[in-house]
Amino acid sequence: MQLCVDNVHKRFGSTVALAGVDLDVGADTHLLLAGANGAGKTTLLRLLAGLTGPSDGRVTIGGEDPRRSTQQRWRLGLLSHQTLLYDDLSAAENLRFFAGLYGLGADIVGPALADVDLTDQAAARVGGFSRGMKQRLALARATLHAPEVLLLDEPFTGLDRRSAGTLSTRLLMRTREAGVSSLLVTHNVVEAAQFVNRVVVLRGGRIVCDEPWNTDDGERLQALCDHHQELAVHE
Amino acid sequence: MNDVPGIWTHARLLLRKDLMTEWRTKERLSPMVFFVLLVLLVYNFAFELGGAALWEIGPGVLWSSFVFASLFGLQRTFAAESTNDCLDALLAAPVERGALYLAKMMGNVLFLVGVQLLTLPLFGLFFNLTPGLYLLPLLVVFLLGSASVASIGTLFAAMASHSRLREFLLPLLVLPVLIPALISCVAATGFILAAGIPGRAVQFWPEELTLHVGMLALFAVVFSTLAWMLFDFVIEE
Repeated sequence: MQLCVDNVHKRFGSTVALAGVDLDVGADTHLLLAGANGAGKTTLLRLLAGLTGPSDGRVTIGGEDPRRSTQQRWRLGLLSHQTLLYDDLSAAENLRFFAGLYGLGADIVGPALADVDLTDQAAARVGGFSRGMKQRLALARATLHAPEVLLLDEPFTGLDRRSAGTLSTRLLMRTREAGVSSLLVTHNVVEAAQFVNRVVVLRGGRIVCDEPWNTDDGERLQALCDHHQELAVHE
Repeated sequence: MNDVPGIWTHARLLLRKDLMTEWRTKERLSPMVFFVLLVLLVYNFAFELGGAALWEIGPGVLWSSFVFASLFGLQRTFAAESTNDCLDALLAAPVERGALYLAKMMGNVLFLVGVQLLTLPLFGLFFNLTPGLYLLPLLVVFLLGSASVASIGTLFAAMASHSRLREFLLPLLVLPVLIPALISCVAATGFILAAGIPGRAVQFWPEELTLHVGMLALFAVVFSTLAWMLFDFVIEE
């Protein structure tokens, strides 16, 4: 499935978040969106998820505007630094609700909870979960419908090393499934190296680097991102 | 890929989720009911209602308390979606924006009618209202009045949810637009209560009621259709 960003500009009042971004993402692409705070990474992800629209230009998924196409949105899975879960519902109720939105039966809930080791917390309210448990449940929610594209907006935020490692392992399993693409926004670039096969660095709302990446060398990836961000400091 | 469920399936799922949450938290119904009770109590002592004054002032007392209570409920329409950015999950899901509007609107209607039915007996108790079948048309007025409030209130609640001034903005947007519907609600209620005047022939459906019920139905249909069409633009960032 093709994700296309065609000369996209996005403004919030007088603030320019994206200033002419072109990006094409095909199947089996695992892309790291890197950049300093305010570079436009989350804005770009939100445009692809259909949460907002461009001020100019076009964003399409499978040739259609994701804001208008429920069929194309069905193919997306969104995992954010916020859990996107209802605190007053139990883990099972949350998954049952979202499964229903995707046209899936309640029988999918049990295996989904087992996948993220939350079977014994099925009846517990999400509001009482730890941060790590919430993110694992959020991953289950985002992948219930086996999406073709995973949009990951700083999913490791607020997690301790162990929880981040657990989430990393599960994400790696999901993203290595055939035909699945992913776009990952994270400041933890060193960890991201194992996930990605392409790096895009944003600076000031523009793409300044778009390269393939075929090594697990996190330090090298960090150096590449730092290099492009340092160019901004010297300009 | 599974078939994407239709708009009514999604609306039903969203409504069910909201009702389940409200059952557990009572975050909306409780303050609304208590507000109406407080207003009725204050009016009771202020005007010493009973007898003929009831038919003249009672409808205004009832609907002013319902409308201001409804603002409490409308403020909370998108509260659950604001927490943990759940609205992003709904917008990213294969859910038509219109389904979200329908679910929230139906939820608001249910909560409003619930408050009205819970507080009507107390209104009757405070103001010596004689119970009888002549009050049944009130159900129609409550339903259509609530639908009118919810049709426009849900849209404006979505608009206000993006603003830091939402508590101030929502009443400012909703109340002026609601005036025509409120006039009909008060007038219709007055005609129904007047049928209970002692010595007067009891009419189940006073003639004058038809016009106002028709106005309310028209208001609800027109504004809910308009709001549904505009909701896409309002709910997105």
